[in-house]
Amino acid sequence: MTQKANTKKECPETAKKCCSEDSRRKFIVVSTVTVSAACGLFPLASGITTVFDPVKKSSGKQEKVPWTKVAPLRNLSEDGKPAKFEVILEQVKDAWTTYKNVPVGAVYLARDGDEVTAFNLKCPHLGCAVDYRSKSNDYFCPCHNSTFGLDGSVTDLESPSPRGLDTMDTKVEEGVVWIRFQQFRPNISDKVPLS
Amino acid sequence: MNRFLDWLDDRSGIRGIVKEALYEKVPGGARWRYVWGSCLTFAFFTQVVTGTLLWMSYSPSAQTAWESVYFIQYEVWGGWFLRGVHHYMAQAMIVLLVLHLMQVMIDGAYKAPRELNFWFGIALLGVTLALSLTGYLLPWDQKGFWATAVATNLIAEVPLIGPILQKIVVGGVEYGHQTITRFFALHAGILPAALVGLVVGHIYLFRKHGIHVKEPRPKKDSYFWPDQILKDGVACLAVMLAVIILTLYFKGAPLGPPADPSNEFPARPEWYFLFLFQLLKYVPAFWGAVIIPLVLGLLIFIQPFLGASRKGHQFNIGFWWCLLAGAAGLTFLAFSEDRSNSNHGAAVKEAEWQANRVVQIAQEEGIPPAGAVTLLRKDHENRGRRIFAAHCASCHRYNGHDGRGYSVEEDPSAPELAGFASQEWLTKLLNYEHYTSLEYFGGTAFKDGTMAKKVLQKFDKEEQELLPQVAILLSDLAELPYQESLTEEKRESLMDIFYDDLACIDCHDIDSEGEGSAPDLTGYGSKKWMTDFIINPEHERFYGKKNDRMPAFGRDNKLTSEEIEIVVDWIRLRPAEK
Repeated sequence: MTQKANTKKECPETAKKCCSEDSRRKFIVVSTVTVSAACGLFPLASGITTVFDPVKKSSGKQEKVPWTKVAPLRNLSEDGKPAKFEVILEQVKDAWTTYKNVPVGAVYLARDGDEVTAFNLKCPHLGCAVDYRSKSNDYFCPCHNSTFGLDGSVTDLESPSPRGLDTMDTKVEEGVVWIRFQQFRPNISDKVPLS
Repeated sequence: MNRFLDWLDDRSGIRGIVKEALYEKVPGGARWRYVWGSCLTFAFFTQVVTGTLLWMSYSPSAQTAWESVYFIQYEVWGGWFLRGVHHYMAQAMIVLLVLHLMQVMIDGAYKAPRELNFWFGIALLGVTLALSLTGYLLPWDQKGFWATAVATNLIAEVPLIGPILQKIVVGGVEYGHQTITRFFALHAGILPAALVGLVVGHIYLFRKHGIHVKEPRPKKDSYFWPDQILKDGVACLAVMLAVIILTLYFKGAPLGPPADPSNEFPARPEWYFLFLFQLLKYVPAFWGAVIIPLVLGLLIFIQPFLGASRKGHQFNIGFWWCLLAGAAGLTFLAFSEDRSNSNHGAAVKEAEWQANRVVQIAQEEGIPPAGAVTLLRKDHENRGRRIFAAHCASCHRYNGHDGRGYSVEEDPSAPELAGFASQEWLTKLLNYEHYTSLEYFGGTAFKDGTMAKKVLQKFDKEEQELLPQVAILLSDLAELPYQESLTEEKRESLMDIFYDDLACIDCHDIDSEGEGSAPDLTGYGSKKWMTDFIINPEHERFYGKKNDRMPAFGRDNKLTSEEIEIVVDWIRLRPAEK
């Protein structure tokens, strides 16, 4: 560094400026601050991308939701009374582990003839699991007391949930109910799939 | 801004603290020889930050450690670079420690009144080495697993409490979940905390006694800020650049195949521990792990007192140079012994192959909850190599080695099987010179058999020229995945050679009912033919009573039918290496 300081010393001479102790000191201070900042920031800079990895991977990727078998149609009550079913996906990747045939959530299925409605178990307010109350024939969230009708809509104006229960695509093929299982962003009035 | 600083200073006295920190007097002016302490602080700071970032994606358990490190290395955005920086900075730290220590010794900065600080420094050296050792295990790959097993076995050498201590560190008798969780707690909790405590003491004592000036003083006195800090910063920058270059050059830190106690691996520690590794080849473990460290430790402990006299100081410096030279010499020996040992080279290559293979499978199929080690254990290609090495390579070779790349001392006593039944392989087989060479039947009774002496040797030139055509025909029967099959016309014309021109049919059958005296070549080299042959070469279809030592692997359950299928698939998978 002595060399570097020397060249700087010569510099003002060529520029016909006074070679003052001040300008030398100023140069050293600026260099020191720059070098120290580089060293101080380096560790975080070398790995900060890893922190944002989940954001990078999910942003803008709207993968097609696959159809998943849930239950035989005959397991659903014909009077339209809802029942809860596990959703088991064939393959789920969680960071470094790939699971096969693993439950990823649950749905309420309600039958109307050959049509089936599916509600995600999670309350659209803040994600607690919603109960079906057979006594009052409605859905009730035990966390913050949101209530939903059988059609999924918010029934009580006091309910904190900004929207009704989240439905998903369903189809019935050869007596089996299939759904496109999805999660949605909680606590907003629009139903936006999580990605 | 100033008002805020005034407010803050009023309540904290921050200006005074900063001033005291920056305006430390540097007698004789800033010098390059004082930079090592700052470089080490910078290196440690880097390790804390990068280590914490790694922590965000690392999972310490026997089924997730390798897997999460794989995830960091191959899937997380910039993860490979982060790992590389942590890995190479750890090595830079060892180099810097030695430089710092030697500067302190040579300058005499360890002598009174700085004895206490010298001991702090030695303790810091120990903690840093412990950090390296514990960190080596965390990826839970073969290298870390086997090398650390050696290190923890050395703990048992400590008198009286050794075995108990070993159980505490390992978390039981065998390596497993508890070993990783304990090593991780040591590596990311206890040891860094100890290091911080020691560094605080080290810097406090350093400040108390001030810089030890090496005479003569080159310049007039200056202050830590900014002159010395600039020099320190530039040195840190150089360390940083070196680490970045190493990381880019080696594409991050290495990751071996997942730890597997059933899969042998030549345990080698990181390069800075190689001297200890080498030492254990010459001295009993008790000496290497207890006596020698104890004697050296005691000697180092009293060095500040020895250094009081001129001779003592010279002895101290000489001692460290000898220690360094000894370590360097042992390290050199360790390297050169490994280099001249072809089996070690093969083992390293084999581990590389496994590492690449498991990554390839993980990327294609994903890693099951049971962990990546199951991917390799189930992988047919990996098992094929291993079955061949264990059951076939005592007589056969594969590309001249045992299937995994290890050389075999004895001459082969049965044919080379790489590219078995391919056109090239058969063309050579049908040449008398090759047939009777060790590459084919030279090591068997068949070298003096009918095929050699009465057929191949007797062919005239014209007939010999037809033999490659027979090779093409037979090779087609094998339906090898890397060879195109013949057209019907071509096959028929080649059959004419087999039947009429060379009259092979007199002894060998193809698609015929009769029992020739030599092996039946119907479907020769195909999966079924090879499987049947390996199950029982003494069957009448094959060698019958003429079989020369080839075991009937299926008949005596030497291999299961699954294992036979795997090794057959593996042999048929690819052509021989040129």
